[in-house]
Amino acid sequence: MLRSLAALLLLTTAAAADTADGQALKAMTWDQIVEEARGGTVNWFMWGGADNINAYVSGYVADRLKSDYDITLNRVPITDAAEIVNLVLTEKEAGVTDAGTVDLIWINGENFRSMKQADLAFCGYTDLFPNNTLVNWDNPAIANDFGVPVDGCEVPWNTVQFAFAHDSATLVDPPRDMAGLLAWIKANPGRFTYPAPPDFTGSVFVRHVFYHAAGGPDALLGPFDQARFDAVAAKTWAILNEIEPFLWREGRTYPTTVTQLNELFANGEVAFTFNYDPAQFGIAVQAGIYPETVRSYGLADGTIGNTNYTLIPFNSPNKAAAMVLQNLLLSGEAQLEKAKAEVWGAAPAIEIGRTSPQVQAGFAAIEAHPSVVPAAELAKAALPELQADWLTAIEAGWTANVGN
Amino acid sequence: MSRRTRPLLLLAPALVLLGGLFFAGLGLGLVRSFRYMPALGLDTPDLAAYAAILQSGTFLASLGLSLWIAAASTVLASILALGTALLLRETFPGRALIGFLVQLNLTIPHVVGAIGILYLVSQSGSFARLAFAAGLVAVPSDFPPLTHDPLAIGIILTYVWKELPFIALILLANLQAIPPGHEAAARSLGAGRWQVLRHVTLPLLMPGLVAASSLVFAFAFGAYEIPLLLGAHAPEALPVATWRGFTAVDLMHRPEAYAMAMIVALVSAVLLALYASFALPRRARP
Amino acid sequence: MTVARLQLMAGVVLAAALIAPLVPLAIWSFAHGWRFPDLMPRQYSLAAWTFALSAQSGVLSSLWTTFAIAGATTVVAAVIGLPAGRALGLYDFPGKRIVLLLLIAPALVPAIAIAPGLHAVFLHLGLSASWTGVVLAHLIPVIPYMTLILAAAFARFDPVHEDQARSLGARPWQVFRHITLPMIGPSLLIGSLFAFLVSWSQYLLTLVIGGGKVQTLPLTLYSFAAAGRNDITGAIALIYILPGVVVLIFTARRITGRHPSLARGLAP
Repeated sequence: MLRSLAALLLLTTAAAADTADGQALKAMTWDQIVEEARGGTVNWFMWGGADNINAYVSGYVADRLKSDYDITLNRVPITDAAEIVNLVLTEKEAGVTDAGTVDLIWINGENFRSMKQADLAFCGYTDLFPNNTLVNWDNPAIANDFGVPVDGCEVPWNTVQFAFAHDSATLVDPPRDMAGLLAWIKANPGRFTYPAPPDFTGSVFVRHVFYHAAGGPDALLGPFDQARFDAVAAKTWAILNEIEPFLWREGRTYPTTVTQLNELFANGEVAFTFNYDPAQFGIAVQAGIYPETVRSYGLADGTIGNTNYTLIPFNSPNKAAAMVLQNLLLSGEAQLEKAKAEVWGAAPAIEIGRTSPQVQAGFAAIEAHPSVVPAAELAKAALPELQADWLTAIEAGWTANVGN
Repeated sequence: MSRRTRPLLLLAPALVLLGGLFFAGLGLGLVRSFRYMPALGLDTPDLAAYAAILQSGTFLASLGLSLWIAAASTVLASILALGTALLLRETFPGRALIGFLVQLNLTIPHVVGAIGILYLVSQSGSFARLAFAAGLVAVPSDFPPLTHDPLAIGIILTYVWKELPFIALILLANLQAIPPGHEAAARSLGAGRWQVLRHVTLPLLMPGLVAASSLVFAFAFGAYEIPLLLGAHAPEALPVATWRGFTAVDLMHRPEAYAMAMIVALVSAVLLALYASFALPRRARP
Repeated sequence: MTVARLQLMAGVVLAAALIAPLVPLAIWSFAHGWRFPDLMPRQYSLAAWTFALSAQSGVLSSLWTTFAIAGATTVVAAVIGLPAGRALGLYDFPGKRIVLLLLIAPALVPAIAIAPGLHAVFLHLGLSASWTGVVLAHLIPVIPYMTLILAAAFARFDPVHEDQARSLGARPWQVFRHITLPMIGPSLLIGSLFAFLVSWSQYLLTLVIGGGKVQTLPLTLYSFAAAGRNDITGAIALIYILPGVVVLIFTARRITGRHPSLARGLAP
């Protein structure tokens, strides 16, 4: 009770050190911003379902933020970033412009597009970061988030690339391309399924089928094109409806989340799971959820990769502290720490070649988890993301044509 | 202070607080369900949001599913609760333990119950493993799908598990209030066990049972986190569909979400009327 | 003889059914992986408990938050519910049915119907994402239970005793302390227990009004359940139900008697 009261008091005093005025901050030097941020609090809303990611953030990151800058990190665990986009939107609609709830969000894709379109993001400050030089903004996969130009509205944190996982003890030789996978599904009734879009992971699986139907992503890049969409979508729904009777529970129902798919995979009900972040396979093996014989791989025709970011909402009252945190997350040391297999295994969003020799040596010494396909191997066949308008069209189309 | 104003003064804090919060929340929702949101440029109220959802197959399927969940849960929980209350009235070994367990269940949050049921009855859950050990199933898909299933059996099981004790305790309190003479008189007139139950005990329990069932129906109809954990991908329970509408980033979908919320409230209003006609005496203090 | 045996069997089945869903949660909390078709885990571990009890997981701070909010909600509900219960139990007045209906409505209308509108109101008042806002929101479903349980107690209460004490020179506080409270005490306790539990298990109201920042245990629990960490979920679930059990044992001892104590508060 006393601790709670103390926490309550802390919350109210933190509001006193207000750095809501982003324009004023942008006119300052980095040292001045760090001074402004000192003694403050930052409320970071992030997906909270992985204990090792939570431990990295609440441990390593929070400790360094406290010891180096005297900033308190309040990690706010959430289930879905869309709810937080909606929260900021509701605040804006209610006229809350400088006392918002959220200081930082872990975000990408459709949610980023929504925030940018509705002017919910604080933009144009990343040049101030000392660690901004580590970021290769010339790389289109960093400078664009699902085809939407980042424009200084968010800061990269991790890069990921989609991969499949299978149990090598029961399935020695899994199909290595999309055509092979579709044939395998029909030959092995009930042993495959995917989460129903708009689940993030289910949606990216459907996009792989969409690319396959289109004969590759090249014709789909660029702004949304209704005619092209209609042509490819018709083929995609035909493929997905054709395999439906061969899916888990004859396709009458789909898992609602990737967690449910993981559960089916762990218990041997289905032969595959898949994830945007292959590090999750290693984490699940370490936690005993999957057997140690689980292995992961990409497709010969490529898998989709993207970058995830952190973003400061326009109405954050603690922008200085959030900026200091973003800069810290970009540092070579923080990126190295989370790249370690026993910590998280997340691929860095910075150029390793631009970091210090010690950090480079640290990256070189990382031993990948045997269940996690190395990022370098996946990168040999990487596919770009489509622009967010394509994604929403594919998700809506799936619901109407396949998942009804 | 007159006898007329005193009760109103005593009631004022509760009525002001509840009125201020509850009716403000409901009222604002109602206004927005008529597509009146000046901040978004919607300044002519209309019924388009209601028209849109009432013509949508997804909404009707969600409404139907939620009504099914609530009805099935309420009927099952009520019947089992009646048995439990009658059982707990008797003296038998272990009665105290069961009485404690029934009360204990009341303290367990719904989310915990839902997760426990999931681990218990899913196709790879504890029951499926027992069935495997007994040689009844070879693989998880041989076990009947009880979670994420079209009939929402897992959701209903959770509500029955959680609400049975709630109804049973209310019925037990009512049973204890029945003067012992009533049932004994019927027995002495030659009525059998069943006849006493049917013609004496049940009618006396009815008001309490209807009141408790209304509360349970309202809860099972409107709870969000349980169908979220245990529901199939389509159709979604109405509260899940409503919440998805609120979190849709396109603000133009909000009036439809508010309209769905108002339909949830409307169903509760019907239950309130039912509750009132059975459980609220015309005059509280004779 | 057969009736007694039937009763016993029904009792055993009932007890098993009430306990069953908690068993896998408890086993999971000590499991290091537990896959089909294993009846029991092959490997046990304290990792989930170590994590759940560590400062980094935020579980314990959520526990205090949940406690403080449920406690504050209960106290406020009692302060508001006592006079309201007294008015409904002791007096007859025109419009009483309407008042009763208005008081019951918030207990029947689900949170999903009011939370979004309430959030918009609280945003304007600066109450969203604050403890105060969450406590106020929790009062909506809590006050009806508290008031109705106390109204039932006051309906059995004879105010003549208060008048006697007053005529003997007792001050209002002394009258309440020595006459009123002992007579309605058990019902106040039951009402408080209900209030505490209703607030304790709120999910949606806390999520919407607290904006994620007021992190109570159901929110923490749900985020791990949604991520498929069954071991950590099991540990948090057990931590989550423990205080309710303790409160129940405490109140069950205070209210002696043959019948289950919660039922007494619900008596007509």
